[in-house]
Amino acid sequence: MTTTLFIQSLLAGVTNGCVYGLIGLGLSVIYRGSRVVNAMQGDFSLVAGIIAYLAMERLGAPILIAFLGGMVAGAIVGWIVELLFVRPTRKRGGTEESFLLVTLGGAFAVSAAALLFFGRDSHPVRGLGGNELLDVFDAAIRVHAVWLIVLSLAVVVALRFFYTRTFIGKSIMAASIDADGATTIGINVPLMRSLTFLLGGAVGGVAGVLVSPLITIHYEMGLLLTLKGFTAAIIGTLGNPFGAIVGGLMLGLVEALAIVFVSSGYKDVISMTFLILIMIAIPNGILGHRGRAGG
Amino acid sequence: MSLGQSQSLPAGSRMPRNLALIAAAAVFVAVWASVPLLASRGTVDLLVFTALYSIAGVGVAFLLGQCGIISLAQSVFYGIGAYATAYGTTALGWHWVPSLFAGMAVAGTVAFLIGWPILRLSGHFLALATLALATIGHVLFLEWDWITGGTLGVGGIARISLFGFVLNTPQRFYYFVWIVAGLVFWLYANLLKSRAGFAMRAMRDAPSAAMVLGVDVHRLKVQVFVMSAVVGSLAGSLFASYVTFVSVDSFGIDRAVSFLLVAVVGGAQTILGSVFGAAFITLAPNLLSKLGDIHALVYAGVLVLAVIFLPQGIGGFLRDRVRGLLNGSGRAGR
Amino acid sequence: MIRTKISRRTVLMGTAGVTALGALHAPAIAQQGGEPIKIGAVLCLTGPGAGLGQAERSAMQLAEKMVNEAGGVNGRPIRVLIEDDGSKPDIAKSKAEALIFNEKVPLMIGSSLTASTGAIAALTNGEKMAQVALTGLGPAIELTYKSLYHVLPPQPLNARAMLEYTKAQNFKKIGVLHDSGYGQLVYNSLREQAAAYGVSFAAVEKFEVGAQDVSTQAAKVRAAQPEAVYVIATSPVPFRGARQVRITQPIISAIGSSPYDYVRGMGEYADDIVFPEFLVGEDPEPHQKAFVDMYKAAYNSLPKNYEAAGWDALQIAVNALKKAGPTDREAIAQAMREPYRGVMASYNFAAPDLTGIELSSFVFSKLVKTQFTRLPFKVTARS
Repeated sequence: MTTTLFIQSLLAGVTNGCVYGLIGLGLSVIYRGSRVVNAMQGDFSLVAGIIAYLAMERLGAPILIAFLGGMVAGAIVGWIVELLFVRPTRKRGGTEESFLLVTLGGAFAVSAAALLFFGRDSHPVRGLGGNELLDVFDAAIRVHAVWLIVLSLAVVVALRFFYTRTFIGKSIMAASIDADGATTIGINVPLMRSLTFLLGGAVGGVAGVLVSPLITIHYEMGLLLTLKGFTAAIIGTLGNPFGAIVGGLMLGLVEALAIVFVSSGYKDVISMTFLILIMIAIPNGILGHRGRAGG
Repeated sequence: MSLGQSQSLPAGSRMPRNLALIAAAAVFVAVWASVPLLASRGTVDLLVFTALYSIAGVGVAFLLGQCGIISLAQSVFYGIGAYATAYGTTALGWHWVPSLFAGMAVAGTVAFLIGWPILRLSGHFLALATLALATIGHVLFLEWDWITGGTLGVGGIARISLFGFVLNTPQRFYYFVWIVAGLVFWLYANLLKSRAGFAMRAMRDAPSAAMVLGVDVHRLKVQVFVMSAVVGSLAGSLFASYVTFVSVDSFGIDRAVSFLLVAVVGGAQTILGSVFGAAFITLAPNLLSKLGDIHALVYAGVLVLAVIFLPQGIGGFLRDRVRGLLNGSGRAGR
Repeated sequence: MIRTKISRRTVLMGTAGVTALGALHAPAIAQQGGEPIKIGAVLCLTGPGAGLGQAERSAMQLAEKMVNEAGGVNGRPIRVLIEDDGSKPDIAKSKAEALIFNEKVPLMIGSSLTASTGAIAALTNGEKMAQVALTGLGPAIELTYKSLYHVLPPQPLNARAMLEYTKAQNFKKIGVLHDSGYGQLVYNSLREQAAAYGVSFAAVEKFEVGAQDVSTQAAKVRAAQPEAVYVIATSPVPFRGARQVRITQPIISAIGSSPYDYVRGMGEYADDIVFPEFLVGEDPEPHQKAFVDMYKAAYNSLPKNYEAAGWDALQIAVNALKKAGPTDREAIAQAMREPYRGVMASYNFAAPDLTGIELSSFVFSKLVKTQFTRLPFKVTARS
């Protein structure tokens, strides 16, 4: 094995890790504020990617505006999902699984709608710095991938600030931990839940516009992203945004190293086995004491 | 093991109610038996798939409804059963019966070996562990193509024959598969009423109390998981014998998700709910595909509505209605 | 089924009305009083195979229209009942069951993916009826089926076409980057036949279908320093990935990677990639030109292999119906067993593999700066 190959795999692992982490981050934000495991997280990204693509290719919008548009689109979809899917389910006494499945149905819907209205093509999306490559000891990384890594970390820091320092962030946490208590001190709980989805959708949107230049947008990409993001979020303890990025990086690096040192055919077997072993090693995890708190 | 004894009913009203139940059962059996004679072959085929998915689905539903375990790994056991029948009857030239039992044995063993460690996990960790299993299973089905045929699949699988009577049409298979499904439901219904069933509900609703009462929670979970895997494998074997062709496309994550759909849409708290769940995932896409390209979108919408408006699933909804009818106006549902 | 019945009635009512008015419009249906002959088709219109199935459907619908305008089958119009299997074999089986036994179609077309085809074939073989599959030869069992005709080449032939070109370019040391579905099938055949062409594989890396990043695998291929790289996948991702880790060698691919859906997804990386395929819409062979023009006029886009395959499949079905009549399923299946010169390729359905495509049917195209060009290279008759 050459050094170049090793570095290349590390770069790939870190990049993919941040992708998984960003999706996991959105999942964590939503879980943290509403105790809903959102199977649509990857589809928020799909919508954001499509909007950014259309803004750039059809309207000729500059890249940053298009990315902003994608983020807003993600946030709007998140808000709509809370309003149309999650709130009625909660009202009718849905179980924890109902929330998972209602959002899963939403994921099917977004994917089907993308196929119907956007077509079956894979669309390449322009990235920050175009297709420029950076040289790292003969290995290559897209300039855009560097941006993705930097911005992922920025999003984590911003979220941390939001939850600990801002009034709205604290209110969201209060509404999630003790809805009744929060109501008595004057917090509008339903609004906080809507805001949670708005925020989760926006994070999903950021993930979408940052990810799509690397992977091209395709109607089936949503659930694949969600699966990896879910994995990242859970390794890093669901509900802890910082954990999602750590979890994502772990997953990304294990995958990359499995390809280099073992076999690309068994990549998923190795990474998933590793995952199970980790969970067994910390059987109750950091989540353990809360367990199935939502249900 | 006292299926059919209605302990809670007042003695005076038992006679007419039992008669009504017997009459209803007779009508049900008559309708059930005449469906293949009246319905088109295409419809009967869908009803066969309904039975197959409800067998695999009831395992998932029981895990979810009685133990609170979300299993996304049923596609693996379904696949093990299907490949056991495929490999057994084609490559090894076995009869379908030993192939089917071999599949169930392998699925049960795998479930035991994996379930023992992972069932100590809880909540989302456990759901993720089963999802990881489904991923691993799918990759291995692809990679071990000397058994599974990989992407190409395996064709020419032996059909089921009973005393020389070959089940080579949907109509013939219909009777067989629904009887098997009925047996599986009966088994689960008995389990529900047994001591173990009570222990499970205790474990689900008050884990610490169950522990105090001396219920070995972990052991019980493993047993239910193994049982779920065995019925999953049974469904897979029957599927392979019915279609006579299997390929890895049938045993992916999406299949695992669809078994979970059977459980939740059908209602995980009721045994028969999985029949309705299975009917939903089989019939709804088929009926909707008449709408043209928009059908996938509409299906997703219907699914969302079903989950929102029937939080206890179709089975739970019907159970409440039936109880309401039986108990008259003066009594509450539960 | 409901829709079918309604539309049949509408067609019949329409027929009466139009005849009364002097048959100015809809000449095809108006000429004949006969009830349409139904042809069953199951395609992958949604799910991972949608890229294939939708292409096939558009050409089949065009062919249906053309056949009817040209007078249908012995004076009766045809009606193609197209069902979506969602790229799942179990659904394909149920749809075929309904078409064969409820609609009583005399023959079947489809499906777009090997697994769905296999599930349908178990039925058509039992009924001894013809099935024109839009796939290459699947599992070995299909060789024992007597009425399953394939309009796409079997994987060993795809592999040989790739190897022929490789040999002509004098490449000996090849890197392979393939997915675990279609790519694995082609690679299995490549592995078996490479030695005969003096080709060896320096690195073989695979990734799962739908993978979104393959840069580590690509880096491993690059590290082996091959003279050329085979990239075989039903996705544009590995093509981009290969170029992004700076694999600068020529890429040779396979027919399954050639649809425009993928090529557009490659963006500016759609360069220096060679495909052994059958139809280059930008520069068709003389016998393909009429089809390309017709398709362009109808859909305002260029057809490619899967469109051509869909077109051929329906024409083959119509031919057999003309010869054997619309009712006798076995006779129809028998009538197909002969050579047929299609738009996509020249078939010989009497060949042992019930396909009979020759290497000489392949044309070779090269992507140069996102545009397909047809290469002069052809494989001449086997020595």
